[in-house]
Amino acid sequence: MTHPTQAHTPNAALPLLAAWRGLFAVLAATLAALLWTNQAPADLALWLKIVFSLVLGLAALLSLFAIFHILRRSHTGRSLALGLDYLGFVASFVTVLHLGQVFVGIDSFADTFGRGIPALGVVLLGYLIDAAGERSPFNGTQTTLRQIGRWVALIGFGFFLWQVSALQGILFVASSLANPAGFTALGSAAIFGLALWGMWRNPAAQALNSKNQHEAMLNGWLFLSPNLIGFLIFFAGPLLLSFYFSFTDSDAFNPPNWVGLENYAKILNIRFAGLESATQLARDVVDIKIYDEVGRLTWGSGGILFAAADKFFWLALRNTLTFALFAVPLSVLPALVLANILNSKLPGMKFFRAVYFLPSIAAIVGISLVWQWLYNATIGYINYFITLGIEFWNAAFNAGLVDPKIQWVSDEKTALFAVILIAAWQTVGFNTVLFLAGLQNIPGELYEAATVDGAGAWDKFWRITIPMLAPSTFYVISTTTIQAMQVFEQVFILMNPAEGPNNSTLTLVLYLYRSGFVNFKQGYASAIAWVLFIVIFGLTLLQFQRQRKSSIYEA
Amino acid sequence: MNIKSYRLLRWLGNGLVYFILTAFAFVMLFPFAYMLSTSLKIPSDTFRYPPRMLPRDPVSQAVPGYDEPLPLYYVLVNGEKTQFALAQSNLKVGRYAPAENLSQVVERRLTEVRPTGGAMNPQSVTVDGKEQKLFDVTVDGQVIPMILVSQTTVGEFVNPQNPQEKVYQNVRLSEPVENVSAHPENYSDVIALRGLDRALTNTALVTILVVLGQLATSVIGGYAFARLRFAGRDTVFVLYLGTIMIPFVMLIVPLYQLMVFIGWTDRLVSLVMPWIFTAYGTFLMRQHFITFPKEIEEAALIDGASRLQILSKILIPASVPALATQSTFTFLYAWNSFIWPLIVINVGNEENHVLTLALNVLRGRASDTPNLILAGAAIAILPPLVVFILGQHFFVESVASSGVKG
Repeated sequence: MTHPTQAHTPNAALPLLAAWRGLFAVLAATLAALLWTNQAPADLALWLKIVFSLVLGLAALLSLFAIFHILRRSHTGRSLALGLDYLGFVASFVTVLHLGQVFVGIDSFADTFGRGIPALGVVLLGYLIDAAGERSPFNGTQTTLRQIGRWVALIGFGFFLWQVSALQGILFVASSLANPAGFTALGSAAIFGLALWGMWRNPAAQALNSKNQHEAMLNGWLFLSPNLIGFLIFFAGPLLLSFYFSFTDSDAFNPPNWVGLENYAKILNIRFAGLESATQLARDVVDIKIYDEVGRLTWGSGGILFAAADKFFWLALRNTLTFALFAVPLSVLPALVLANILNSKLPGMKFFRAVYFLPSIAAIVGISLVWQWLYNATIGYINYFITLGIEFWNAAFNAGLVDPKIQWVSDEKTALFAVILIAAWQTVGFNTVLFLAGLQNIPGELYEAATVDGAGAWDKFWRITIPMLAPSTFYVISTTTIQAMQVFEQVFILMNPAEGPNNSTLTLVLYLYRSGFVNFKQGYASAIAWVLFIVIFGLTLLQFQRQRKSSIYEA
Repeated sequence: MNIKSYRLLRWLGNGLVYFILTAFAFVMLFPFAYMLSTSLKIPSDTFRYPPRMLPRDPVSQAVPGYDEPLPLYYVLVNGEKTQFALAQSNLKVGRYAPAENLSQVVERRLTEVRPTGGAMNPQSVTVDGKEQKLFDVTVDGQVIPMILVSQTTVGEFVNPQNPQEKVYQNVRLSEPVENVSAHPENYSDVIALRGLDRALTNTALVTILVVLGQLATSVIGGYAFARLRFAGRDTVFVLYLGTIMIPFVMLIVPLYQLMVFIGWTDRLVSLVMPWIFTAYGTFLMRQHFITFPKEIEEAALIDGASRLQILSKILIPASVPALATQSTFTFLYAWNSFIWPLIVINVGNEENHVLTLALNVLRGRASDTPNLILAGAAIAILPPLVVFILGQHFFVESVASSGVKG
């Protein structure tokens, strides 16, 4: 805790810290300048050079600014210095980990990790003993059990370290660091750490007039920083990068060239043309050097041809929207019914709730493999059940239904529907639980009042349940839609090839994956990603608007 | 309406409710049951039609005079179903009949029958304008010349107790003797076949690192958002909130290039680092901490505790349910993720494959052994189910609350 009354205490470390700021500024500026000489790594991209120079230049300027404030004994100087040194420390520390091959060393760790799993079981056992001790009602057994538990856990962990060859790992990291680059990184981490410690301590804080609110601010940014730095590097940064790539012809390995709106123009380049007869060829009405036929709408003696420069994108969009159009109602409406049933106070409802939830936690890849065999046209259970049903029907009603023997995944008419069924099966339980929570939040008095007024069950459902459930419904429909628009794994596993017969299961994410990681047209793939985002955003906005209009209940 | 009929109606209504619930439960559980049953079958059993749930094995029996145990089948002997052993299959059998009475058919093995008049001077007869060869067929010790009506393939079945007693009938139409028996060795086989053990430890390690890392950053980040006042906090929070709705596929291209730039492609670290720092987890922890009474913290602050001490000594112990829920969420996400590993881990580098990738490879290479594929699927699916059943209480409740607040 700092005490403002003790302000203006002279502090011996301050001149040293100010000097360090000066050295820091000089070093950062030098490094920024060095990037533009031939000392810099030759394969560094131009835009990276610019970014690095800007960052280093800014750091140098801020450091000079901090000196000014430190000399004026203002807390701004302390905050700035702490911020710069903290970032410097993090950067050096990460560099140490990188040079020590700690990150890529996870691979070698995975090699020995399997042997250590039993030892981790011992650690868990120790924890359980400890937990049992904590709950024990007797004081004597409590301490004994807790002690035993801790020893078991400790021994288990030691055994784990021995099993995974932790010592060898540490020696390997140390030997990887024993070179000039490693020593530089270690040294700078130590210097930044020392400077941080000096500035963080109370004497420096008092000397620079730090107040409680400044401490709170520093604490806040310090606590947030691990998440924020990672978030900027692995989420926000890439997001901006994706936007940039969508205007380039990036292929992941060569420097990208700016192509402006070309990617978007190709995606959105479509043409409608009138047809004189239903069977007129596309080449008669559009320039087939540019356009491919996507589909046609015909009637009587004419029709409209829909052609696009990138027909696969529009096929993918059509399939994805069709998928969402069926998968969302199929996973929302049964969920609404089930939730209303489960909301009754009958015994066993928790069991059913858990059972319905199971599919949504299983790996989609595994699930799709299972369904692949269920869908098998000759030996699969689905066709078998259909056959049984038809035989029963024919026997019972003396009807002459013919067994369709559906070729689920190899017929272009049913392939997408097969994927829709899997997705609906997998999300219905999750949605049921969401609806159930919404139902349990509706005050019971509403129903009581309605009963007094003589409303029937049906009226109560339509006039109370549905309007009161609107926020849940909105949440369920929008999350299910967002998920449905990203369908990929089911299609990728179930179909062979993944785009299905005659591109009938080519989805947007699959097309994005193809463009970016099979054909390595990553600039184009980024543009697809942004169009997909706009579609998803638009759909969510649409639902939001409708919810606001239709809901009488303010969430 | 009197009370009696009201009760009856109510009883019928409840019966209907349970019927619907059970029917849905059947639909939800059936694929899992199918997976488990198939993963315990032998390959020939998986391709059988109509399909059966319980895995079965054909039964074999040692028969005197034969080196190896012979598979048992049901055959009709004197109108009774009896278990006989299949000694030889694919025996060519001719169906012979006298030219003057084609309905009096007898079956004889082709090798047992000689042409009438010997091989050098075969005799023939004209039936329906067609010339047919005549064969000497022995019936009850009498040799009768007959013509070959048709040919078929049968198996030779012998009585295991008395190998001299033989019956010939079509093998495919015969019902094999089977007993119910599981083959758990499919699991060890599939593990050995595709190095699934390494994939399993990779997945476990990646999942543990992601869960621990994400918990650490989101707990302290969420605490900062919930309890610490600092300039810029609300701006950053709005930024976080705004990105929650952004689908992950937006990031795969630039994130891949970032991994290429750092040199992390093909490495397990690329499956860990991007998942440690999530806006959503931080948001959830913030929502949790904000409900925590402020007074306890303020008292601790006055007593001179630091923020880190408050967090580790007071808030975290009191938040075990919330932490468990978030860990379960993260566990499932990390364990089941597929598209990112597919992109960033090379197909060839099977050392670093996680389970979902290994399954994808297995799908292509073992397409004729569904029992092994589904054993692999079960290995991927069962650990999350166990985690779910253990953490069920926390988990379902919190999914529910995320929807209400959402």
